Amino acid sequence: MAFATIAFKRKIAYKTTWLFSVLFGGWALLAGLAVWNHLIGDGEIGGYDWQSMKAYLVIGFLTTTLAWAGAEWDMANRILDGLVAIDLTKPVDFQRARAGEYIGGMMASVPAAVLGTVIAVLVFRPAGPVSPLAAALTVFSLLFIFPLAFGISYLAILCCFVTQRFLGIQWAKDSMVAFFSGMMIPIALMPGWLQGVAWAMPFVHFTTTPASIYLGRVDTAGALGLIAAEAAWAVGLLVLGRLIWRQLVKKVTVHGG
Amino acid sequence: MADTQTPAIAVPVRHVFAIYWRTWFAQIRSIVEYPADLWVMASAGAVWNILQFAFLAVLFANVPDVAGWGYHEMLLLSGLLSVAGGCNALFWDGAWSTGAMVIKGDIDYRITRPAPVIIQVGSSHIGMQSIGEVVFGVAMMVYGWIGAGIGFAAIPIGVLAIACAAVIQSALVTALCAVNFWIKGQASIFAFLMIELQGNAMKMPLGIFPIAVRLVAMFIVPVAFINFVPVAVVTGHMSAWWLAGIPAAVVGSVLLAAGVYRLGLRAYDSAGH
Repeated sequence: MAFATIAFKRKIAYKTTWLFSVLFGGWALLAGLAVWNHLIGDGEIGGYDWQSMKAYLVIGFLTTTLAWAGAEWDMANRILDGLVAIDLTKPVDFQRARAGEYIGGMMASVPAAVLGTVIAVLVFRPAGPVSPLAAALTVFSLLFIFPLAFGISYLAILCCFVTQRFLGIQWAKDSMVAFFSGMMIPIALMPGWLQGVAWAMPFVHFTTTPASIYLGRVDTAGALGLIAAEAAWAVGLLVLGRLIWRQLVKKVTVHGG
Repeated sequence: MADTQTPAIAVPVRHVFAIYWRTWFAQIRSIVEYPADLWVMASAGAVWNILQFAFLAVLFANVPDVAGWGYHEMLLLSGLLSVAGGCNALFWDGAWSTGAMVIKGDIDYRITRPAPVIIQVGSSHIGMQSIGEVVFGVAMMVYGWIGAGIGFAAIPIGVLAIACAAVIQSALVTALCAVNFWIKGQASIFAFLMIELQGNAMKMPLGIFPIAVRLVAMFIVPVAFINFVPVAVVTGHMSAWWLAGIPAAVVGSVLLAAGVYRLGLRAYDSAGH
């Protein structure tokens, strides 16, 4: 909690970074709206008409703004700079401390992400939730973005034990998230086998899961099943991160020594 | 003795190139020492491109064309953008470190050395994801080129377009990273913003975007000349006259990068101030 508070304060201290995280997402949203408006026109693609596609993209904006706000560069730099060696001497669990910082950083972006979403809803008037229950379940499913984003970022930063820079890994991770979350192109448009691959990975819960619940593409039982899958991934990624950490920490070399 | 007889300006330019290549090859030597790093990063670059390919394949399984552009033409757009980004990372990745060097006072060392600071910073790193980006980007281009039926005659234009794209991309990134001389921060937010803009908009035909976006991409931050204009010309979507804009964009962006960097160095006040 203390780590989360510090990360939160640190994040809101740098208002420009904060602003830019919304700007990035806002730009992607506008570009997505322009592209899909052109493609869908008055018809529909993959069961999405223009109204529901707008809702889909706005949900994607909200989730990606949150997911990209975590302090993953701080985590990566701790390993790259060798600070991790000092962390090992501290009586604090590395993963738990980083989780605190990461989620604290994400919390700092919540007001901006929500404000951006409200503005987008007012300006673009997307389709509403299919039912009040679906709306509530959507919000609940969005909460799992926090542990899921951390779990994935943590695995990504662990790569820094064997590489010298984080940038390439971050791009690979971000592109996996963008593609398999359905942010780049809805999962429903993919061929059957690729949909299977996407649903077998955790990334799908960043956009497709909340959007499917919101738009009523799954019934209540389906929604609860998806939320259970989110919870399972959240725990699974934490355990996986712990197992990999145990192997990699033996490799720590600081400044080549 | 031969050196003293050459015009004064030629010596520094040759010196600059020599410094650049020496540093660049030193980076290559250090990369070879860490093969795991190399493979992880190269695969990261490959993943990015394979997913771009998949995106277009899925998109065109559902729609026949985007604003009159076919699958293979769009592959060319994405491929050229990847190659441009890859060349930036391969030959000029150090520019991304400008912000970190300013904060840590690392620019101090560079100022004291007898070579232009911008050359030393630019060649200070190689982004190894570039290997995956360039290889798969070129593969996308070749596949798109053949599929779009462009033919051999236009290949010189394609090669020239790649070279110009690499220079414009690197120069614009450098200019935007140099903003960190004034706005202090590790991350080069403005350069990231440009990459984001390109990733979202420049993989698509510019025609689907509002006029303001088109004007910005063509004339304010000339990212359109990196991939959109050359591809639009070889595929017949734009008149060949637009090709003249590419060298202009090269000169403009290089001058901009050098100018902003020079002003930035004047404003630089070392670490801790």
